[in-house]
Amino acid sequence: MTDHQWTELAAPYALGALDAEERARFEVHLAGCAQCRGEVQSLHEVTGLLAESAPAAAPPGALRERVLREARRVRPIGARPPFRGNIGPWLAAAACLVLAIGVGYAYLRERAAHGRASESIAALHDTIAGRDSLVATLLSPDAATAALAATGQAPSARLFWSPSRRRLVMAVFHLTPAPAGRTYQLWAIAKGKPVSIGTFNTSPDGRLVAELPLPADLKFELTAVTEEPAGGSPQPTMQPFLIGKVTPAD
Amino acid sequence: MQKPRTDANFEAVPDHQQGKAGVPDRALVERMAAGEERALGELYDRHGGMAYALALAIVREGADAEEAVADAFGQVWRSAAQYDPGRGSVAGWLATITRTRALDLVRARGRRTRAVERAAQADADGLAAPLATAADQPDRGIERQEARRLVARSLGELPEPQRRVIELAYFGGLSQTEIAAELQEPLGTVKTRMRAAMEKLRGSLAPLLVGGAS
Repeated sequence: MTDHQWTELAAPYALGALDAEERARFEVHLAGCAQCRGEVQSLHEVTGLLAESAPAAAPPGALRERVLREARRVRPIGARPPFRGNIGPWLAAAACLVLAIGVGYAYLRERAAHGRASESIAALHDTIAGRDSLVATLLSPDAATAALAATGQAPSARLFWSPSRRRLVMAVFHLTPAPAGRTYQLWAIAKGKPVSIGTFNTSPDGRLVAELPLPADLKFELTAVTEEPAGGSPQPTMQPFLIGKVTPAD
Repeated sequence: MQKPRTDANFEAVPDHQQGKAGVPDRALVERMAAGEERALGELYDRHGGMAYALALAIVREGADAEEAVADAFGQVWRSAAQYDPGRGSVAGWLATITRTRALDLVRARGRRTRAVERAAQADADGLAAPLATAADQPDRGIERQEARRLVARSLGELPEPQRRVIELAYFGGLSQTEIAAELQEPLGTVKTRMRAAMEKLRGSLAPLLVGGAS
C-alpha cells in the first residue's frame, strides 16, 4: 500500500468505520507513521464534535445521582495478592480484609471523637462500601468465574461475576501496565461477537483488582483481554492475549 | 488544510473545551483522578446533557441511554488518571466513550441502532429528515449553543448522501462495508463519500478545533 492509500484510511478510522482486520493493519501502520497519526488526531476532533449534532434531549434528573452512585461503587480498589486455587482462600482473605477494616474503623472512630480523623473515616466509608460490594458479588448464589491464561506465560486474570447484581470482579496478575495512550479492554464474547465490559489498567506491580458493571442480559461463553487505544475501542483491534472460558455457577 | 474562517472568534476558547466556570475540563479530570467526587458531579453538569443526547441518538430507549451514560461516566471516573490532553478535549473523550458504551449496549441486545432504523425507514419513505436539529438547550452556555449550531449547519451543508454515510458510521456504528450493504451502494462510493464528508467537516468546523485555530 502506498502512503497515500494509508492516509485515506484515516477518515474511516476516526469514525470507527473500518472492518476489524483493516483497522488492525492500519494501527500497525499508525505505530510507525507520524503523518497518519496527525491526520487521525485531527479527524478524531471532528468526530468528537459530531456528538453535538445529536438532537437535544434533557437527561432525567435522577441520572446525575445514578452516575455519582455507580462511580462510587466501581472505583478501582487497589492490588491484592495473587489468587490461586479455588474460591475458598479468596473469600477467607476477603473476610479478613473486612474484619481488618472493621477494627481500623473502630480505632479511627475513636480518634475522630477527638476531632482528628473525620476525613480518614470518610475515605474508609468509601473503601468499606467498595469491599462490601465486592464481597457481595463473590458471595452471590449465582456467582460465576473464569480464569484467563496467556498463551505464553506471565499475565493471568480471574473473573468473578454475578448476573443478578450485574457486577464483575476482575483480578489481574503479572500484567505490565499499558503504555501512555493505550489501555487494556475486557471483552465478553457471545456467539463469536465481542462486547466490551470496560477498560482497565494495572498498577506498576502488574496487578489489579477492580469491580466493573456488567451490561444487563449479557450471556457469554468466552472472555478476552486486548490492548486498545486510550478510551477503548468499539470492537477489538487485535487478537486477545488473554482468553478465558466461562465456568457457570452450579 | 483550509484557511481559518474570518468570521469566527479565535480568541475565546470554545466553551465545550474549557467549561463554563473558567475551570478547564482538564482540571476537573485531574481532580477526579485524585478521587474527588465533586469534580465528577461538575463534569456531569457540564457534559451530561451532551452524553445523554448522544446516547439517545444511538439507542432507542431512554433507559438504555441512561445506562450508557452511567457506564461512560463510570469509565471516565475509573480511568481519569489515563486521560491524555494531547489526544483531544475532555468532551471529545467522553463522547467517544459514551458512543462506544451505547453501541455496545445495542449490540449486546442484538438490536439495530436508531440511525440504522432511520436509514431503513428513509429507504421506504425517501429522503430522511436530518438527524441534527440544533435545538437550543436553555441550560447551556451561549458558546456551547453556537458550537451546536455550527456543527448542525456543517452537517446540513453536506450533500445528503455524504451526510447519511457519516450518520450511519457515527450514530449507527456501521463499518464502510456494512454501510455499503445497508445503502446498496458500491463500497468504493461509500469510501469516497466518507472521506469527502470528513474533509468538508474539518474545514467548516475549523473554528471549534484545537488544531484548526492555531
